[in-house]
Amino acid sequence: MQFEPESIDAAFYDRLRAHYTEEEIVELGAFIGFNVGYHTFFRTLDFYPMFSPEGVLVSQEESRRIYGDTPGSHLRDEVQDALAETPHEAAS
Amino acid sequence: MTLIDPVDRSQAEEQGLRSRLDSFTGLGDESATFIRILARAPGYAEALWDAMAEALFEGNVDHALKEIIRIQLANKAEDPYFSSLRSKKALESGLTEERIAAGQGDFLNDTQFTDAEKWALDYAYRMYRTPETVDAAFYDEGKQLWSEAQIMEIGGLVAIHYGLQTFMRTLQP
Repeated sequence: MQFEPESIDAAFYDRLRAHYTEEEIVELGAFIGFNVGYHTFFRTLDFYPMFSPEGVLVSQEESRRIYGDTPGSHLRDEVQDALAETPHEAAS
Repeated sequence: MTLIDPVDRSQAEEQGLRSRLDSFTGLGDESATFIRILARAPGYAEALWDAMAEALFEGNVDHALKEIIRIQLANKAEDPYFSSLRSKKALESGLTEERIAAGQGDFLNDTQFTDAEKWALDYAYRMYRTPETVDAAFYDEGKQLWSEAQIMEIGGLVAIHYGLQTFMRTLQP
């Protein structure tokens, strides 16, 4: 949706319908769209993760000291692992 | 026609969505197609349209400027549905198609816009093209022209409308 919206066509929705109800598809689509919109906005606000790499709640100042100039989620490794498997590979 | 069929109006009304259906007509779609698609997921039409409407119609930033921004974002999302809608309230306040078009073009060099309006249009323009340029210096510039509350109002408008226009874009063959 964020990077290749043109590929989400009737055939794609037909594939989704094999796995999800229309109610669930609308739920997913609205959720994804909402997050595409808000996370790009949040990025510009220079937020730092609320948690240390060990999962401990920390202040923004402490988080800035921990993560330096390149803040990312404390779940970075898990996210990277998930991204390594592309949606197309997952579907095959 | 959309790739997910909207629920019937009567079904939406049975879900208690009559006020949202009526409110949505403020954007010029009397059939409130978007609301009736969201109505497929119980609770979503209420939550998401209420947030979108609050961001667009309420607050302390000129509604007509926010309408230009909304259309600029719909064009960026390549969403023909929201690109074609127009706020009745904004049109009644004097917003013209010429001014809307100017907000999509070389607005930074257009004397019809104030410096504050140029910053807001540029904020929306950059957000999903070059978000890395929306940095502390850019926000500092904005704070000379807008209050922090107004900047959050514009940012919230940009985020929710662009996000859901991106979804709506995929529903049109």
